[in-house]
Amino acid sequence: MDYILVAILGGVGSLAFYMAWSIGANDVSNAMATAVGARAITYKQAALIAGVLIFFGAVFVGPHVAETIKGKIINSSVISDPYVLLLGFVSSLLAAAFWSTLATWKEMPISTTHSIIGALVGFGIVAGGLSSVNWVCVGSVAASWVLSPVGGCLLAYIVFRVIVKLIFAQKNPVRATRFVGPLIIGVTAFVMSIALLMNTQLGYRLGVAEVHQTIITAIVVSVVIIFVSMFLLRNIEAKSVDDYTMVEEIFRRLQIITSCYVAFSIGANDVANAIGPIAAIIPLVSTGSMGSVAEIPIYLLVLGGFGMAIGCLTWGYKVMKTMGNRITKLTNTRGFAVDFGGATTVLIASKLGLPISTSHTAVGAIIGVGLARGLEAIDLKVIKKIVISWLLTLPVAAFTSAIIFIGLNALF
Amino acid sequence: MKNEKIHFRAPVSEMYRRKSPFDQLLEHMGKVRECINLLGEGLIRYYKGDYKGFPELTEKISALEHEADIIKGNLRNHLPNSLFMPVDKGKFLWALREQDAILDHAENLMQMLDMRHTKIPKELQNIFIEHAQLVSNTVAAMEDAVESIRDLVETSFVQREREQTKQFIHKVHDLEWKADQKKYDMTKGIYHLEKKLDPMDVYHLLKIADWVDDIADHAENVSDWLRSMIAR
Repeated sequence: MDYILVAILGGVGSLAFYMAWSIGANDVSNAMATAVGARAITYKQAALIAGVLIFFGAVFVGPHVAETIKGKIINSSVISDPYVLLLGFVSSLLAAAFWSTLATWKEMPISTTHSIIGALVGFGIVAGGLSSVNWVCVGSVAASWVLSPVGGCLLAYIVFRVIVKLIFAQKNPVRATRFVGPLIIGVTAFVMSIALLMNTQLGYRLGVAEVHQTIITAIVVSVVIIFVSMFLLRNIEAKSVDDYTMVEEIFRRLQIITSCYVAFSIGANDVANAIGPIAAIIPLVSTGSMGSVAEIPIYLLVLGGFGMAIGCLTWGYKVMKTMGNRITKLTNTRGFAVDFGGATTVLIASKLGLPISTSHTAVGAIIGVGLARGLEAIDLKVIKKIVISWLLTLPVAAFTSAIIFIGLNALF
Repeated sequence: MKNEKIHFRAPVSEMYRRKSPFDQLLEHMGKVRECINLLGEGLIRYYKGDYKGFPELTEKISALEHEADIIKGNLRNHLPNSLFMPVDKGKFLWALREQDAILDHAENLMQMLDMRHTKIPKELQNIFIEHAQLVSNTVAAMEDAVESIRDLVETSFVQREREQTKQFIHKVHDLEWKADQKKYDMTKGIYHLEKKLDPMDVYHLLKIADWVDDIADHAENVSDWLRSMIAR
């Protein structure tokens, strides 16, 4: 192996690590905000859970094919020079990571997926003109601006209304929880097992990755979990008719599970943003050509997972600490509705191949619970700021990436 | 330190209000409760002709009124248009306003009592004491009604909790009506004795009857706004 190759790989490796770090710092804190705010877990637990699960999510469920990020956005038939592609990927990563860091600093819940897509588009336009960019993919980003919040809002609204109708409106809410609780736990388990198994590495390893196999496995898993939780909840008894703390306590445990799942799925879904371009660069550098799909070696997943975990334990930890020290009026039933609505939307979207953002759906889910008369007060002012940051992500990342690309091109 | 904190917040969590307006309303109600407890005690002592420690009591009630004013101001000034609440913000503010009126009246009444020590005629003493108790009970029932907001919000306004709140509100109406009846008896009694009493005493007794009864009226208004807040 010659030195230049090692130097390039080392350079892009640390770039990927930086990008992974910024994903960990930005996405995680928003995903865990609800659990920490509802006091389901402390900020220390949140950081630890997120750090560990993100790593495992990235390594075990992360994609082993980097087709999504690279092949879909840039038409490599238009830009065929591997040297240009190399520079382009480097500048895209740099631009996306810069914007993510800035956004975290400025408290904007952007999508790191959108920023890497924007950065690639910027490089594509400069390097190969408008035709080199796959605009359908860019369109799907625009669609997700609407779909993520609307989906999160709708699901969270429904989940919360179900909780109200089946538990709070019953004559004896705690007794109702004894039956409804396990059912809700079962549905959660079903959704989570589908997310973890359907067409994922973990699923292939266990031999249940096909759609019908996954669904059968998920049903079995959820039925087992329903019975186990029925057994565990059989003895709970209300201290009074309106003993809602008991109900909340059950949902507190559920919320711990959902937030673990959210952290895990962030690791699985977002790791490609950091290491996808690198995975494309490696065959480029070593063989001088690039296929339509690039194999992602396991050490890259480890690198990405590790970077995200570190991001979450450093900046993410600080964000969660401020959140943990704040007084929020968020109970666990609401927190669960927000978490479940957000996570399920992300799951559905990712199975459909849409680049959806966890923080966008979380915002929508909070509004959904608010519309169901579930929250005491939501400040809608924040939404304006959030929407602006969503819309800015694509052009800013594209522009920065284009500038960096031109600069690098002039240098080398 | 503060500067650093500003930069480490999750934007999503900014959407949750730090302090719930309902909690602040209940906090304000706590001041009403404290104040009416003191006032009720003071009134009965006054009716019995025991004026000891009244200046201190007046000061205490004024202090409570001031504390409640700060809570009210805080609450009212921080309900921007962008704030999304599960109940009508206007009705919410009206309930707050009426609740605050109870404190205002208590303060004025106490100051007036402190300024002039009017002896209650022996024949009317019992009726005055019963009236004061009825008014205290009306406010206490209102407090129960307002307190039930906690469960209403927790369950997102389900039927059972709304019925319970309505029960409390009915009780407020009932007690307020009884207080009104008692006040009628009081006034009648005062006019009955007008020949025997000093005109200034008559004026003052009538004023006491009016002002004490006003407190029950405002407690009823609070529960009415609460009722319309939770109406479907």
